[in-house]
Amino acid sequence: MARPGAFATEDEQAPSAEEHVVVFRLGQEFYALDIQAVQEIVRIQPTTSIPGSEPWVEGITNLRGRVVPVIDLRRRCGVQAADHTSDSRVVVVGGTTGMVGLIVDAVTEVMRIPVDQIEAPGSIVSVPQNSYLRGIAKLEDRLVSLMDLDGVLPSREMGERDEAGQTETIARAA
Amino acid sequence: MAKGQPLQFDLDEDDLKLFTEEADEQLELLDTALVQLEGEPDAELVQQIFRAAHTLKGSSATIGHKRMASLTHAMESVLDAVRQNRLSPDSDVVDVLLVALDALRVLAAEVTTRVHSGTEPAAIEARLKDILDGNDGGAAVSLTATARPASMPPAVADTLLAELNAGNQAFHVHVTIDASCELPGIRCYQVLQEIEAIGAVPWTAPDRDAIEAGNGEHSLTMAVTGLIEESHVRTALDAVSDLGPVVVALLSVDELAAATPVTPLGSVPGERPRLRVVEPEAAAPASEAKAGKKASQSVRIDVERLDGLMNLVGELVIDRTRLQQIREAANPVLKDANLQELLQNFEETTSHLTRITDELQEEIMRSRMLPVRSVLSRLPRLVRDVSAKCGKKVELIMSGEETELDRSVIEEISDPLVHILRNAIDHGLESPEERRAAGKPETGTVTVTAWNQETYIYLSVKDDGKGIDTATLRNKAVEKGLIARDVADAASDEAAVQFIFLPGLSTAKTLSDVSGRGVGMDIVRTNIERVNGNVSVRSEPGKGSEFIIQLPLTLATTKALMVMAQQTVYAMPLVSVTEALLEREADIHSVNGNRTLRLRGKLFPLIDLAQALGDGPSVEPEGERFVVAARHGSRQVGFLVDRLLGEQDVVVKSLGDLIGNRKGLTGATILGDGTLGLIIDMPSLISEQALFAA
Repeated sequence: MARPGAFATEDEQAPSAEEHVVVFRLGQEFYALDIQAVQEIVRIQPTTSIPGSEPWVEGITNLRGRVVPVIDLRRRCGVQAADHTSDSRVVVVGGTTGMVGLIVDAVTEVMRIPVDQIEAPGSIVSVPQNSYLRGIAKLEDRLVSLMDLDGVLPSREMGERDEAGQTETIARAA
Repeated sequence: MAKGQPLQFDLDEDDLKLFTEEADEQLELLDTALVQLEGEPDAELVQQIFRAAHTLKGSSATIGHKRMASLTHAMESVLDAVRQNRLSPDSDVVDVLLVALDALRVLAAEVTTRVHSGTEPAAIEARLKDILDGNDGGAAVSLTATARPASMPPAVADTLLAELNAGNQAFHVHVTIDASCELPGIRCYQVLQEIEAIGAVPWTAPDRDAIEAGNGEHSLTMAVTGLIEESHVRTALDAVSDLGPVVVALLSVDELAAATPVTPLGSVPGERPRLRVVEPEAAAPASEAKAGKKASQSVRIDVERLDGLMNLVGELVIDRTRLQQIREAANPVLKDANLQELLQNFEETTSHLTRITDELQEEIMRSRMLPVRSVLSRLPRLVRDVSAKCGKKVELIMSGEETELDRSVIEEISDPLVHILRNAIDHGLESPEERRAAGKPETGTVTVTAWNQETYIYLSVKDDGKGIDTATLRNKAVEKGLIARDVADAASDEAAVQFIFLPGLSTAKTLSDVSGRGVGMDIVRTNIERVNGNVSVRSEPGKGSEFIIQLPLTLATTKALMVMAQQTVYAMPLVSVTEALLEREADIHSVNGNRTLRLRGKLFPLIDLAQALGDGPSVEPEGERFVVAARHGSRQVGFLVDRLLGEQDVVVKSLGDLIGNRKGLTGATILGDGTLGLIIDMPSLISEQALFAA
């Protein structure tokens, strides 16, 4: 098995190497996330929006007592917004910034994709921001874009901490 | 064995925890008790001190810490003589015992760091022995045996001494860098950078040039000074990776004086501050016996485990609320279906579960509570040191030490309290001469009191000094551009005193007067507000000042007023809310085009809550709206909300790293129906709006 989130390097690229992924639909396109990163898939549930947050942050939701931020993946990926349907789901992933829910149009399947069917993201991609993608799998009937979780979940801007007190100390010490 | 060398002790990880916990406890006890000993020695107290030293001797000997065992043995001998009335515990004796205690602390830390700190107790032991032999020449023995200041040049010790006299702290910091780190030079440089960000570094070994040239090695020693605590140094060092054990030792005037050829000012013999600890009346007798009994019936529990329990109970409370809602919804259905018996069972089980859950929550909350004594016990020593440093005579009176509060709050309150107390002595109290001239007793009094009221705990630090000069304060605030002249002049004396909390304000008259009030008080307020607390000050010229800290009993839950704005439920912590009223009944004016609320003769800005948070008015609110008046320090703001939903205890949950610190919000809370409400950061929102309006 390849390491999650990374291309197999030459020495670990055995003929049988494959990636175990969860495939979901966003508009007309299919995307996949490494199954290791997916913690669970739940139905759309009520979210509380956060005033002043980025437009692609749907809000926060209560997942069995935990406060989990939810991202509208359509808006995040620049796909035209659409109403949620009964097929819509929240894919809960564990990123570097903790648990996050991603709203997708439908979760279609869990599958294994042979590594030799995965190519680097190139001109065939129709989604403008291809920094979220780490590869394209060419399957018999369709293309599946492999999503890079860290690209989807931006790291938070730093430097918000109140350092006023420390600054004072520096000023005097100088 | 020499400084910096690795040490081996005979204990595993679990033992280590046990050892440090026990050692910390005994050292803390010694710290308080030794200072008390000087004031009023009684047999019980001496016995208590003797036992603490004896316990430390036993545990250090068990793990094979020979120097620590030997020093405690020497202390024990002196204490035994005191116990048998062969020796009177005058200030010289207590001085030496306190020096020994400081050395013990460093030695105890070696067990965790496993690195030789360079402390050799032989000279202190010699002094202890001199005392026993009735040899008053003991003071002539150099204290440099603690080796901390000894390793630095006398000129450096001199500099540090000046810093101490100016009200700063000085530390001897020894940092080791992991042997596996291949570029220790870079780490040394980083260490220097991080430390210089919080204080001054007058001396390093190897020297600064070598470090800046990247030639540092696997160990670095330096002198650090500034208006900082040990925790600041440690936090700064946390930012550097690949660090091995770190030893941070607070340097005292005595130690530094011993390392410099010049006699310091300040510590005049015979001018000792008097200390008195007042036990709360009810707990006065047999309190020691009670403490002893308690100890034998208690079990140590990891704080993380308690936090985990607290979280679980928080979730249980939410489920209970949901269950009650389900029961209400099911009630008519079950009645219609003629399922009386089932309905009754349902009712009984739900109400039982409710009661049990409440009790469980209460019990777990209690198990996290600690008496505030654990903070107050540090104060007598602090008062002794600070008052000697500034040449003041101080009597410290403490009461309410049994008052309990959540341990997370205790951790946060210690630094602000120390800061306030230090300021009260340094700036609040006059010198003995000034006091005499003002017709006051030469000895000033500082009273520290803790008490409970409703769901808050209050801590008061009161001095009988000169009070805060509001005229100077007004001028300073205007000079520094913190406040407009007309506003400053219009403020009542009561309001003007609160200027002391403005960031960047210092009333110090000279530059050397570095523990200037403003710098510290700003930090004090920030720290207290971080735990949903409040701090206020009252002052009367010539009579003294009183700082009152108000804190919630626990950080896990907050009492809040629940409101609705733009379809979202918000929790406004009650500590900041002053009142709520119908918009229709509020006295609202338009001043310069801004809506203004008049309440009790005062005007303050009226702002739409959702708008203040950056949520535009997308939905036109229906029905009557409400005004929630809120106060933060001297600032007041009225918030317009769509609905009032009542008061509630809310369990505070973080918004998570992805959302991060959102303007005006401190977190989220789970509501009765399972959805989330947002908790408002009242201090920041009020300050921002009040400023914006002004």
